Amino acid sequence: MGPLYPLGIISDEINMLIGFFIGIGFGFLLEAAGFTNTRKLAGVFYGYDFVVLKVFFSAGITAAIGLFLMNHYGYIDIQSIFYPKTFWIPTLIGGGIMAFGFLIGGFCPGTSLCAAVTGKIDAMVFVLGIFIGIFFYAFTYEPLWETLRNSGKMGKVNIADWMGISDGLFIFLMTVIAAIMFFAVTLIQKKVTSKRDYQL
Amino acid sequence: MDRSKTYMNSYLAGILIGVFMIAAYYFSGEGLGASGAMKAVVITAVNDINHDYAKEAHFFKARVKDEEKSPAKTWLVFEIIGVIAGAILSAAIYGRLKLQVVKAPHITNKTRLIAALIGGILFGVGSQLGRGCTSGMVMSGMGVLSLSGFIGLVAIFGGGYVIAYFFRKLWI
Amino acid sequence: MKKLDALFVGLLLIGSLWAFIVNTASNTPTNRIQPCDIINIISQSDKYITTDELARRLMSDDPTLTLIDLRENKEFVSYSLPGAINIPIEKILDNEYRDIINQDVQTVVFYSNSSDLAVKAWMLTKRLGYKNNFILKGGLNNWVETILRPTEPSETASREEFERYNFRKAASAYFGGGSATGEVSTSAPKPKVAIKRKKKQAAGGGCD
Repeated sequence: MGPLYPLGIISDEINMLIGFFIGIGFGFLLEAAGFTNTRKLAGVFYGYDFVVLKVFFSAGITAAIGLFLMNHYGYIDIQSIFYPKTFWIPTLIGGGIMAFGFLIGGFCPGTSLCAAVTGKIDAMVFVLGIFIGIFFYAFTYEPLWETLRNSGKMGKVNIADWMGISDGLFIFLMTVIAAIMFFAVTLIQKKVTSKRDYQL
Repeated sequence: MDRSKTYMNSYLAGILIGVFMIAAYYFSGEGLGASGAMKAVVITAVNDINHDYAKEAHFFKARVKDEEKSPAKTWLVFEIIGVIAGAILSAAIYGRLKLQVVKAPHITNKTRLIAALIGGILFGVGSQLGRGCTSGMVMSGMGVLSLSGFIGLVAIFGGGYVIAYFFRKLWI
Repeated sequence: MKKLDALFVGLLLIGSLWAFIVNTASNTPTNRIQPCDIINIISQSDKYITTDELARRLMSDDPTLTLIDLRENKEFVSYSLPGAINIPIEKILDNEYRDIINQDVQTVVFYSNSSDLAVKAWMLTKRLGYKNNFILKGGLNNWVETILRPTEPSETASREEFERYNFRKAASAYFGGGSATGEVSTSAPKPKVAIKRKKKQAAGGGCD
């Protein structure tokens, strides 16, 4: 019965070690999929490379299916794992700020870190920027952000419940939509890249 | 064919990341994340420099309460150390370990680096305000079907498509 | 490459279909109580603890006893059983209380004015798989009736009943109920009950 660490089945040290190994897998895959190349990342918005969308959705869907089935068959208690609480206003605004960050800087935190350690100078600057951003946020937290960050509180909300359908149906619909999207973006990519060479 | 231009099949990479995400949840009850670890580093630094300030300021307070434990000793920090090791490993295998500035052909290195810095700052602020970044909130949130993950998805990607036109010079 | 893509996307579709089918086949989502479960739970008789038993354990300073007062804080402040912890029923599932309610060592006893709230709390926690949780039979009303103001049995009553009455009278004095006709004391002594917490970490947060 999982999750093992929150239920006290494995120790602190083992947990950290597992975190390290899971991190290796995550980092390896991000790099291997091409997430350290900022041009490939930004391509999703200009139609010449959809790797972000493909990796992102297959990862999310795999996890959703896996966790749903594990919960269903009693291997994990989904209630005791990390479940992001919904604060819709700051998430929407923060997401908007991150959209600008992505379009201007060309990375997100995880990918920039991978890119920085594999020698991309632009990514190193991006990571530096993130730290500056967090420092700025931290020191202006009370006057500028605190109220906003805690507004729009909805608690732990499951999107399927929120839409009034079952989890299984939601996962199925999400996967079907993703599959159609995968097919569509492959066509778009072919069309866009046939017109000119993007020199990735 | 140039080995450094070879990438893993996107769907396979995604599925495997999903499997690691499940493992992270199963063993540790944690979502994969990145900005959270960076936040922990910032908190540790500020706490080491000025503990009295960190104890009082609302942003730091919750994390530095425990005098014994360093705020950097969290699962996410160890996970991120692993991410770094994994990325280097993969880049070494594919022959992509090279010091370079990656950019669109028509902009200068300087433009690219300034844009990267601004983008980083925006992401730093946005991830704190939005309670997580693309991996920690959106991807991990999708895994547990959390509404906030999908709101983040719409905000980041939807927002991205809306504003993409204005920044096209940077990329194409 | 094309074939490989189709294979992986196909795998995802099959997986999601699997999730959809098991979800639909079981008809009720796994986290909902099903009627047959409720019957099983209701028919369990060992879920109650009597007021006499509770009084005996309180008087012997049983350290393994945790009393949970499910009423509003206002009511809790005005009167509560010795050493009880106040967890209003609507907060019973909050994470901060989980360590108190869900553990193997302590005997956890729920009570409210009647046994109404306690039964609800017990069903909820039972459903979550928590062990060692009990309901105070009849709640505080019954506690006042039987322990604080015991009624003398009629002369024809059995010896057992007299013994029970004597015990209750002693208990009444112990808990400050005074004589059988006395006022209910509002300041019952509240020794601190040491709670042995099961090691349990809250799940952390990805990026937050």
